[in-house]
Amino acid sequence: MIENALKGNRNYWIWISFLILVIASGISAYSQQRWFGLTVTGMGRDVSWGLYIAQFTFLVGVAASAVMVVLPYYLHNYKAFGKIVIIGEFLAVSATLMCLLFILTDMGRPDRVLNVMLYPSPHSMVFWDVMVLNGYFIINLVSGWTVLGAERKGIPPPRWVKPVIYLSIPWAVSIHTVTAFLYAGLPGRHLWLTAVLAPRFLASAFAAGTSLLILLTLILKKTTGFDAGSEAREKLAILATYAGATNFFLIGTEFFTAFYSNIPSHMHSLQYLFFGLEGHSNLVPWMWFSLLIGLVAVLVLLIPALRTSSKWLPAACAGLVISIWIDKGVGLILGGFVPSPLEEIFEYSPTLIEITITLGIWAIGALLLTMLLKVAVAVKTQE
Amino acid sequence: MIFLGLTLVLFASLYSFLQVGMAEKTTQPPAQNLHRQVSVDSTKCIASKEFMRANHMRVLNEWRNSSVREGNRIFIAPNGSKLEKSLNTCLGCHKNNKLFCFNCHMYANVKPKCWNCHISAMESP
Amino acid sequence: MMNEERRAFIKKSGLGVLACLGAASGLIPKFSLEKTVLPAWDEKPVPGKIRWGMLIDTRKCIEGCTECVAQCHHVHNVPDFNNRKEEVKWIWKSSYNKVFPTASQQFQSEKITGRSYLALCNHCAESPCTRVCPTEATFKRWDGIVAMDYHRCIGCRFCMAACPYGSRSFNWQDPRTAIKNPSLAYPTREQGVVEKCNFCSDRLVKGLLPACVEACPQKVMTFGDLNDPKSDIRGLLENNETMQRKPELGTKPSVFYII
Repeated sequence: MIENALKGNRNYWIWISFLILVIASGISAYSQQRWFGLTVTGMGRDVSWGLYIAQFTFLVGVAASAVMVVLPYYLHNYKAFGKIVIIGEFLAVSATLMCLLFILTDMGRPDRVLNVMLYPSPHSMVFWDVMVLNGYFIINLVSGWTVLGAERKGIPPPRWVKPVIYLSIPWAVSIHTVTAFLYAGLPGRHLWLTAVLAPRFLASAFAAGTSLLILLTLILKKTTGFDAGSEAREKLAILATYAGATNFFLIGTEFFTAFYSNIPSHMHSLQYLFFGLEGHSNLVPWMWFSLLIGLVAVLVLLIPALRTSSKWLPAACAGLVISIWIDKGVGLILGGFVPSPLEEIFEYSPTLIEITITLGIWAIGALLLTMLLKVAVAVKTQE
Repeated sequence: MIFLGLTLVLFASLYSFLQVGMAEKTTQPPAQNLHRQVSVDSTKCIASKEFMRANHMRVLNEWRNSSVREGNRIFIAPNGSKLEKSLNTCLGCHKNNKLFCFNCHMYANVKPKCWNCHISAMESP
Repeated sequence: MMNEERRAFIKKSGLGVLACLGAASGLIPKFSLEKTVLPAWDEKPVPGKIRWGMLIDTRKCIEGCTECVAQCHHVHNVPDFNNRKEEVKWIWKSSYNKVFPTASQQFQSEKITGRSYLALCNHCAESPCTRVCPTEATFKRWDGIVAMDYHRCIGCRFCMAACPYGSRSFNWQDPRTAIKNPSLAYPTREQGVVEKCNFCSDRLVKGLLPACVEACPQKVMTFGDLNDPKSDIRGLLENNETMQRKPELGTKPSVFYII
């Protein structure tokens, strides 16, 4: 089946070459980081997590969103999702791989990464995150590939695949809940110390992930002619709409609790992000842009005429993805570190090396996704 | 063509092993006069020379876990003396040999990372 | 081309070999690739066991004096990168509103807000940092010290995010180049690990007081066993009004302050 990924037209190979170029520069930048240490990034004693963990947080959400297509199709026999499920599963595989790579690049001693498994620490959320991410990667890859293989041979998939797929449903929710628990249990970081973080993560994941899935099907339709179906897209768009609306509602509740209670520690991070704190306001334009573009996107999606329009749907989806990428990545992760536990403010901006490595990992994810989707489309359109 | 390919693959995979074979013939164990010939009394050591040669890695790992993780830094040597479970104990006797650990490790091509943090005999005056 | 039966046979024998290797490494000790050590479960301080603690009498601390900082950083080879972003510090002095941000800041007397206060790892009895470490590289020892095993740390910096006091530093680069006056009796750390104050556990085992306590010309710090009702530190705690950093978080620090 994999041989389908090695055959393609000129545009396919131009895309692959571009991705390999980006990956190569990412690897070269990473070798700098391995040699000199994480000093080459913009992180420091006060903002000790940056772009890498931000990308990881966003992508775990995208990975979890596969459940939005797997659940209706496999558990409730929603046939309209027949052609889109494999795309969702492969998107999850690619996103999970990127998550693991981002964690690896963020570590100070990646050569010791196996210590997490050699010295299991069930009280640590990072331990569980590593376990469930690896598990999710394997589950989705194995089930997606097996079902696709069976389809290629024109036979029903083997019986063991069904329980594995059913397992992936709660597992998807668990990966993003565990990731939220990474942040939501830390007593010193008041932006994160909220019970609503896990639901907010899930809502934003389902909004951004399904939007990304819609965009993927449109890209596939344009480049390969394979159409996952407008009914599938319409249903996903509705899911994205309500997930997006929930996400903004939950952001609203955060604002209420912080500012109505008037407790300084609750307010400070949100003040820094949206209004600037003590003259520091690097992120303010980002946050307002994210809020506005996200709200506009949800509004557009709420209007049926626009939601079904071939111009407005991709624009709204892209807007929602960008909005949530900024909100979860830039806003949440960086905002959690400002102000520091000693009420000091240090601002963070990523360095060129950091950005190059980040783009390299995105390219690795895109490459894996391209290859997997090439195989999927080939199988689904075979005679 | 297939045979040519197979031969190339075989050669590529065995290359590193062939290299090692050749290296063993040309290098020799380090000359004994690279360090000042101060004989160290191995009855005062934590264990016999033969035991240490074969097992120093395990001893160091156990000492490390014991002193760092359990806070138990006292080692009672077979001859009854109390020693601290620390690399400084080793270097206390062996410090005259600047190449104490490096001698054998370079020959055996082992690169332990102890000296990234711990201060070796080479770095002490 | 291979037929299906042969392919299935190769798949099964391959899986079989993997299974045998796995079983062998588990059952036959000689085969195990790495001896796993069961994690030392976090040990909470227990009455009857020692619990190290420190009391800082901030009234006696001299403004501008940093003897404790200098001595600690020298004795433990703490690097000085001359760069606020990548600073590594085990103990330092800061202002009242930074060390006690959740204490009342309103109409505080000039005497109190004008002073500098020592900040260091609190060696909390309920430490969030040890709770989050995925490898138990930082762990609670039986004697109350929140210890670091630099050999095991993977540099994920989760503990830095978890610490509510900002006590931890990371080695963003190789620290060796930034150690001005190294002490040969103690190791350095390496690039990529987190470090912090260790209550001088290496000195305690030799019956010495921590470096900062000993270095202080004013004897500002009292160090002792919090679980021993007859210790000096318990006496001072009984007879003075003391406070701690962010007590509302339930971390139960082992460091107390007389304001």
